[in-house]
Amino acid sequence: MVLSEKEKINELCKILLEVGALLMETGANTFRIRVTVMRIASAFGYHAELLITHRALMLTINNEESDLFFSRLMQTSAHRVNFKIVSGLSRMSWHIIEEKWDLEMVRHEIDRLKSVPHYPRIVTLLMVALAGASFCRIFGGEAIEMLIAFVATFVGLFVRQEVTKREFNPYLCIFLAAFVSAMISGAAVNLHISSNPEYAFATSVLYLIPGIPLINSLLDLLDGNIINGVVRGLNGLIIAFSIALGLLGAILIYNI
Amino acid sequence: MEWIVFFETWIWLGFAATGFAILFNVPPRTLWVIFIMGALGGTVKLICLKLGMNIILSSLMGALLIGFLSIRAAHLRHSPPFVFAIPAVIPMVPGAFTYRMMLGIIHLTGENDHAVFLQLLQETVDNGLKAFFVLSALSLGVSAPMLLSRNKSIKETKPNKFLNKLFDSKKASD
Repeated sequence: MVLSEKEKINELCKILLEVGALLMETGANTFRIRVTVMRIASAFGYHAELLITHRALMLTINNEESDLFFSRLMQTSAHRVNFKIVSGLSRMSWHIIEEKWDLEMVRHEIDRLKSVPHYPRIVTLLMVALAGASFCRIFGGEAIEMLIAFVATFVGLFVRQEVTKREFNPYLCIFLAAFVSAMISGAAVNLHISSNPEYAFATSVLYLIPGIPLINSLLDLLDGNIINGVVRGLNGLIIAFSIALGLLGAILIYNI
Repeated sequence: MEWIVFFETWIWLGFAATGFAILFNVPPRTLWVIFIMGALGGTVKLICLKLGMNIILSSLMGALLIGFLSIRAAHLRHSPPFVFAIPAVIPMVPGAFTYRMMLGIIHLTGENDHAVFLQLLQETVDNGLKAFFVLSALSLGVSAPMLLSRNKSIKETKPNKFLNKLFDSKKASD
């Protein structure tokens, strides 16, 4: 399929925006998005200018020889961390430079990356629950507290996945997950099952901590992308607040 | 006896990092690297704490180690460095401080006694500031290699000759 210059620039613009939006949704920082998009654009002989925000991306690409330029805006959809896509897109940008991929191959690769499956659900649940138990152990819990943290994390994450699937407000999902986890580990505190049940109570909601928004926020701020940094930081704070509200619910019910 | 405790903590730190790595859906080829990096970073933090440094400086040390290791890992396993770095620093994220700060704020809203209020306020601000600075130290440590290499993409910066040799000889022996 031979594309005219105009069609080519149109298709390239679409692809670049899709790459940028995917990176934004899956948890890359602003610097990484800019570098990746610029790299792909320059591999095709165009110069790209980007405006990156949390909910939309704006891109202008131009060819300095023919002075043809193209602008487009694209909204990002719901944010969902997925480092397989970030890693795959970064790899793809190097393949494009080193192996001179054409647009069709790039389009295929993006579609393939989007359909790469997650880890099986049970593996995710078990490993994250194990991480919760590990946290409990690091803070000083014993075997029984680790078991409580394990169960609370497992059920909480399950609830979060189920609620997210039904497309509730993301902060509400986190609130519900934190509430369920805190109710399970709080029951242990209330029934005096072990000597130090507070360890389990404190660590049972740690799987929800907004690590990526907060770290990305500070990375953006250090890079000079102040607005994106502030937006991500606020997002992280609201998530932390939702977790606290979930805990508050359990604290009030059990009167801990 | 000390060493057994040490080794046990090492394993739990690694599992905490790997759990988050799976939650973030990292490529399978990076999992064991994240396990080792998370464990090493956490261990450095614990050693620094034992040596009497404060929590903020210790976290910075751990994060710096993870930051520099992530560069090497990126060359070795072909993924951007932060894919390794972020799950690996997660076990060091100040969850306990944030939790106590939030709990403090919740209690503050319902407190009427002046003396108790001041006591609670002091603890809450203390925990909140620690949480904020530990978090800043973590991001600073993770991004330090990037800042030092003046923002070039990591693949353009060549690993030094010694490491090149090391990895090449490894490949040859495989």
